[in-house]
Amino acid sequence: MSRAYIFLGALVAIAFVVVNSLYIVDERKQAIVLQFGQIKEIRTEPGLGFKLPFIQNVVYYEDRILPLDTSPLEVTPLDDRRLVVEAFARWRITNVETFRLAVGAGGEATGASRLESILNAALRGVLGNVRSNDILSTDRASLMVQIRDSAIGPAQNLGVEIIDVRIKRADLPPQNLQATFARMQAEREREAADERARGQEAAQIVRATADRQAVEIVSEARKNSDIIRGEADAARNAIFADAFGRDPEFFAFYRSMAAYERALQGDNSTLVISPDSEFFNYLKNDGGGPLQ
Amino acid sequence: MSSNGGGPWGGGGDKGNGGSPWGSGGGGNNGGGGGGNRGGGGPRPPDIEDILKEGRERLKVIVGGGGGGNNGRGSGGGGQGLGKGGIVLIVVAAIGFYLFNALYTVKPEERSVVLTFGERTSVGEPGLNFIFWPVQTAEIIQVTRENTIDIGVGGGRTGSRADQGLMLTGDENIVDIDFQVVWNVSNPEDFLFNLAAPEETIRAVAESAMREVIGKSELKPILNRDRALVSQEVSDLIQSTLNNYVAGVNIVRVNFDKADPPEEVIDAFRDVQAAEQERDTFEKQADAYANQQLAGARGEAAQMLQQAEAYRAQVVNEAEGEASRFVAVYDEYSKAQDVTRKRLYLETLERVLGTVDKIIIDDQVGGGEGGNGVVPYLPLNELRRPGGTN
Repeated sequence: MSRAYIFLGALVAIAFVVVNSLYIVDERKQAIVLQFGQIKEIRTEPGLGFKLPFIQNVVYYEDRILPLDTSPLEVTPLDDRRLVVEAFARWRITNVETFRLAVGAGGEATGASRLESILNAALRGVLGNVRSNDILSTDRASLMVQIRDSAIGPAQNLGVEIIDVRIKRADLPPQNLQATFARMQAEREREAADERARGQEAAQIVRATADRQAVEIVSEARKNSDIIRGEADAARNAIFADAFGRDPEFFAFYRSMAAYERALQGDNSTLVISPDSEFFNYLKNDGGGPLQ
Repeated sequence: MSSNGGGPWGGGGDKGNGGSPWGSGGGGNNGGGGGGNRGGGGPRPPDIEDILKEGRERLKVIVGGGGGGNNGRGSGGGGQGLGKGGIVLIVVAAIGFYLFNALYTVKPEERSVVLTFGERTSVGEPGLNFIFWPVQTAEIIQVTRENTIDIGVGGGRTGSRADQGLMLTGDENIVDIDFQVVWNVSNPEDFLFNLAAPEETIRAVAESAMREVIGKSELKPILNRDRALVSQEVSDLIQSTLNNYVAGVNIVRVNFDKADPPEEVIDAFRDVQAAEQERDTFEKQADAYANQQLAGARGEAAQMLQQAEAYRAQVVNEAEGEASRFVAVYDEYSKAQDVTRKRLYLETLERVLGTVDKIIIDDQVGGGEGGNGVVPYLPLNELRRPGGTN
């Protein structure tokens, strides 16, 4: 029985030692082997590794691309307009030894905060030398390259490679935001007023044109109708002239007769006449002359 | 790490103590103990669980009890008797446990990446996959499934205004943009090994790309028609940036949920639309007025012309009638001029004097000289009155 215990005990002890002398570096990690705080070995490739049990320990570092979002930073470009800029960087630990020496035991978190101050300095440096319009719109891409290039040097001292820096956000500070809103509002109001005025203008033009055309149409029609009336009168005159011209004297007589009849009609005429007129030729005598 | 560390030890124990029932039992128990911890919630049948528990108890008996048999399992001889069946069960359990760890399934939308001592060795396709556990481990990744990230919706992480999707346009206006990035994994290995925080990275890249594109564009096209163009451009920019990181991520599409003016000025924008409508209304009303006026004028013109034509017809007809009547009379007159003339004269006066009030005053009666004897005394007004009042 006791032999079995000893055997078992030895087995456990051996296993413990074996476990403590093996370590695995994951594809996503890189490792430093430390011996009482002294860097003994650096492993960047994945796989199984051996170390001295108990006196050496392994510290792992990220081998993937790490994110870093800077907190909002106010920068003052050349034209003295202030801008709030937020950037993010993608970085990777390329030299674990340097990184460890520069950052200490804090690991990636400390590294990120160191990197942020490097990045902020680069942001201020690059963005302080251009105009705000370049940052806001046109030239962003090349500025981002410049920021990255100026941050790469200091970052190398940390054992870190900066893969990419991008400006996530470049905005006006909140105070300017209100001014921008006011300006946008004013622009829209102008546009609305313009729309309305143009509407009135167009309406007025249409109305005036319509009025003019109406007058044109009516006056043209009046002209034509007068022409027609004139033609009618002319035709009437021609007809009369043709008919009455046959005997003007008879026409005068005939027309006078018609005129008398028409003019002296009704009850409103009183005629004081002398029986001397031709009509009364025979009123006083038979005109036959004295009987012989 | 602990499971990886335990693995080689357990394996070694098994091999080294093949002949001894105690050693074998011990090895099996170590594995079994691990299995119990790992697969506590797993779909394992309960009887295996019981067997493992039993094995653990027996280990207690062996190690701690020192043959005391206080668990009621009887003497050492009894334990050996039970051990025969138990060993079989333990071996079966150990095999089952091993297979449970070594076999895994990959669903159609997934891929797995196999790591040997932490180093990538192969990619597992959908179906049942085998790994040499514990030397190898497998990471399963959702590949084809589309993931969405909403940006600009509802306050964001810090809740500040800028996180609500307010972006600056090229003409220094502000636009409120909500959009959605839909992505999936194009390369599981790159996805797993190159980016530490893929989702966060995609979000940051997407936001940066959108702001860059919006910053290059003016406000009006964004609000109106260029959305498809913008989302394509953003999608390309995100994709190319992520490709620089070798992220193994495929941007499926970028959806615009919203591209509006900010709340503070949206009323002014709506007022512009209202003004556009009003403008249209004004124009339409004016058109209506114009149509009315022109139609009225055309009607009036037609009326005038028709009246003129009517006048012409009337005048000509009357003239012709009158003329022909005259001609007819004249024709008769020319045959017997004196008689006709006389007759016409007399007939006319007959008709005229037949209806008219008349006073006939003889010159002699009126006064010899000058014919003005009674005339001055005629009451003219009285004479007129009956005619005038009737």
